[in-house]
Amino acid sequence: MARYLISRTLQILLTLFAFICIVYFIVNAQPGDISNVYAMNPELPPDARERLQNQFGLNEPLWKQFLVYVRNVFTGSFGVSFSFYPRTVADVIAERLPRTVALFFTATVFSFYLGFLLGKIIAWRRGGWTEYATTIGGVTLYTVFTPWFALMMIWLFAFKAGWFPIGKFLDPVLWRDAPIEANTLFGRMMLTALALSIVVFVVFVITTRLRIAGARLIQLGSIVASVAVMLGAWRLTGHGHLAWDIVKHMVLPVLTLTLISFAGTMLLTRNSMLETMREDFVLAARAKGLPEKAVRDKHVARNALLPVVTSLVFSLAFAVDGGVIIESVFSWPGMGQTLVSAAVAEDLPLAVGAFVFVGIFVLLAHLAVDVIYVFLDPRIRY
Amino acid sequence: MAVDVAPQEAAPSIRKVRLTLAMRSLRENWSLFLGTRIGVIGLVIIIFYLVLALAHPILMNTVWEERVYDPVVGYAFDETRQPAPPSWNHLLGTDPLGRDVLSQLMHSARTEFLLGLLAAVVTVTIGTTVGAVAAYYGGIIDTILMRFADLMVMMPGISILIVLSALIGVEHFELALIIGILSGFGGASILLKSQALSVVVKPYIEAARAAGGGPLHIIFIHIVPNLLPLSFLYMMFTVTGAIFSEAILSFLGLLDVRMSWGLMIHTTEAAGYLLQVGAYWWLIFPASLSITLLCTSFYLVGRAMDEIVNPRLRRL
Amino acid sequence: MSGYPLLAVEDLTMHYQTRAGEVCAVDGVSLSLERGQSLGLVGESGCGKSSLALALLRLQPENAQILRGKVLLDGVDLVSLSEEEMRKYRWNRIAMVFQSAMNALDPVYRVGDQIIEALEQHSNAARQDMVERVGELYKLVNLSPNFIQRYPHEYSGGMKQRAIIAMALACEPDLIIADEPTTALDVIVQDHILREFGNIRKELNMSMLYISHDMAVIAEVSDVVAVMYAGKIVEYGTAEEVFNKPIHPYTRALMSAFPSVTGEKHELATLGGEPPNPLDLPTGCHFHPRCPFATEVCAEQEPPTVRRGDHWADCWNPPED
Repeated sequence: MARYLISRTLQILLTLFAFICIVYFIVNAQPGDISNVYAMNPELPPDARERLQNQFGLNEPLWKQFLVYVRNVFTGSFGVSFSFYPRTVADVIAERLPRTVALFFTATVFSFYLGFLLGKIIAWRRGGWTEYATTIGGVTLYTVFTPWFALMMIWLFAFKAGWFPIGKFLDPVLWRDAPIEANTLFGRMMLTALALSIVVFVVFVITTRLRIAGARLIQLGSIVASVAVMLGAWRLTGHGHLAWDIVKHMVLPVLTLTLISFAGTMLLTRNSMLETMREDFVLAARAKGLPEKAVRDKHVARNALLPVVTSLVFSLAFAVDGGVIIESVFSWPGMGQTLVSAAVAEDLPLAVGAFVFVGIFVLLAHLAVDVIYVFLDPRIRY
Repeated sequence: MAVDVAPQEAAPSIRKVRLTLAMRSLRENWSLFLGTRIGVIGLVIIIFYLVLALAHPILMNTVWEERVYDPVVGYAFDETRQPAPPSWNHLLGTDPLGRDVLSQLMHSARTEFLLGLLAAVVTVTIGTTVGAVAAYYGGIIDTILMRFADLMVMMPGISILIVLSALIGVEHFELALIIGILSGFGGASILLKSQALSVVVKPYIEAARAAGGGPLHIIFIHIVPNLLPLSFLYMMFTVTGAIFSEAILSFLGLLDVRMSWGLMIHTTEAAGYLLQVGAYWWLIFPASLSITLLCTSFYLVGRAMDEIVNPRLRRL
Repeated sequence: MSGYPLLAVEDLTMHYQTRAGEVCAVDGVSLSLERGQSLGLVGESGCGKSSLALALLRLQPENAQILRGKVLLDGVDLVSLSEEEMRKYRWNRIAMVFQSAMNALDPVYRVGDQIIEALEQHSNAARQDMVERVGELYKLVNLSPNFIQRYPHEYSGGMKQRAIIAMALACEPDLIIADEPTTALDVIVQDHILREFGNIRKELNMSMLYISHDMAVIAEVSDVVAVMYAGKIVEYGTAEEVFNKPIHPYTRALMSAFPSVTGEKHELATLGGEPPNPLDLPTGCHFHPRCPFATEVCAEQEPPTVRRGDHWADCWNPPED
């Protein structure tokens, strides 16, 4: 297990290196160099351009430039952002990465759960009108023009119904005299969520392992209790209303991202279920006299889960892309929105930096999926 | 090349037999395809848009006056206020710059088809070649190509395109090439390689090798034709991806294009009509729905074909 | 003891709906099996043996339908039971050892847990007792108890087979259906497991329906033999009678496909032709296109039943008694 993880980590690092090479190649494959950005400026004296090239080391041999670049990436220095001058790229990213992680993680968990549940159900009743409706609905959501869909969600739930704010991360009026930094508060919120999920997870594992009667009740009770404790604690800090503001801003982007990405999991689950249903152990489970629901959930779905988790790799990239679009439509100040606005403003250092981080993020998510897979499939023990 | 004379002489008849067989399986698969409801729905939508795309030049040359209906530089002189709501002259109204929305929609349909087709052809050409080569040679070539493909698959394509379009000016043609290369070296080669692996172990490959066929001959005459059904299937998904990516990028205003469905929404957004969905629906719905419908329909056709090509999904 | 035989199948008919048309996989089959007896069902692949086995447990695929007939277990008709009632019969009364035992174990659960899963369905015993029961079963089939907590992929082929047999014995069923259970194993392991399985079965006085295409295996394990061709039973009798005085030409062809045990030299006439297309069965006797003794009447009319005591066969041209 440990060896497997180490080898996977090494592979990921190698992939990361290859990825950086490609990014470097793409950035440097253009004619000219970064000083071209200033070349069009008539107010720039000719020798200034040369000075710039010297300053950025653009006169050094290519391999040396590349080494410096790689070192910079691994030490997290991506230079200074043009559009957020004088903030460094690393600083901008450090502020925005957690917001993306929160959005992405919540939406991925929800959409995976929803997609797996629905996929399971439509595979089980193959051929009915439900199957056609869900397939077509799912494919439509999966291939819907994301900005438009996000727009409709905003229009419907924020503009018309007024249930949620229209976009952005927080309400500036509410935060004007706030006694706490938004980022600090958000960090605490994420820690709370993490603690909460760990507690619930542990309770679930223990109750399932022990096979106690009424496990369901204990699980439900523990969720209610820990949520109550958490809410109480937040009330005591006095920042509850501020946290609630951020949560309110988060609901609509998470909902939208969940809706556009669950269908991928759903359709995959359905195919995987249909393939697993032909296995002999499913027949054996029926022959043992198991009720249909147990056959479906304990045997078919449990085995169908494996290829679905494997192909999460594909959907991870898809979800990240979806996140980028959702963020920019909702003005959610995360990595995606940073990437898009940097690209639009031609803020190259920030765009490249954001892109490298998106890449690292995908690779880490990939590693996480690998770890989960090891727990799910007993045949993998390295 | 050491090729026997006899097979060459026999070639026409073999080709004829192959053709007959191919036609028969095509006919069978066609009837299977018609049996899948989702595939037929997708096909109907595609044909609808194809008709729109083909009708545009005809309309421009007959009924539609160029200075009014040109999708890019036209101006609806007959309307007093722009954007104008739908009327008999402008069935889908006009955009904030006074251009006919229906004309833009139809004009862009053709671009989307060409873009999707080009991207799909590039993807499949690369994917089939890489897949066949990796499966045939195996070893280090296979490892390198497949690791690279893994990397490509993991990367979020639209984010790459966003960065690229910030770095260089991207038009439709370049966009199609880039998408084709990205997905060709990525998902397409992984999928087609796994299929090629099952072809490589077939006895006729061994026979061809024994008869003295070189690697190129075997790869392109024996392996590649067996990958074609799956390639064709993958093309459908690539078309969806290409149209979708184009729409996103031009919606964000990152492409150097003169007209496309995504750009139509970008124009709407730039003019500040985006949240007035109810009052100015014709600025938002036609283009957005077209993107969605066309992407969905290619995807549905792809899925329907998947159920036919992939025997594990077939019903008994 | 009730007056019924343990298992009586009466006129069982099952059809498959396929895209190409309707296929009659099981065509009016009647059988009966006494407690403790072993019935061998033999035929080429595709003749409907496995379909029949699945129909007995009502586990036929979704596109299959039992059109008519009865499956009486101790006089209770399984075909007319509700799904929920049927569930209680499965494994508890009729267990099955599957054709591809290799794949009959779920790869993601420990083998011991999979046996316990079957026990849980049919008893209310405490978990500790069930764990003990699994230990007993492992002892019975000669498996090391260390393997109870292991996963299927850690088992060898022969061990999986033993585990499957242990699982089938778990609820002490009245009838075990064994569908070519040893074909995937090499001959020596196959022979070994077969013998042990036979002994356990006799000890526990269970009945068995043994399905195989291999006459040699059938000869070894059965008291009664039924020969199946194109969905029909074409010959039926005690093993002794069927093997010594086969009536149907098909049975004779199957038998000549394996060398005589006594060392006598037969001409090894292999069976010519292919099994019939189930979508387009030959008229009259389904076997007539491949039959060396076929006459005109065979192609036109269904063959009559020739009875010699309890031994019978459907044939127009039976050999002299």
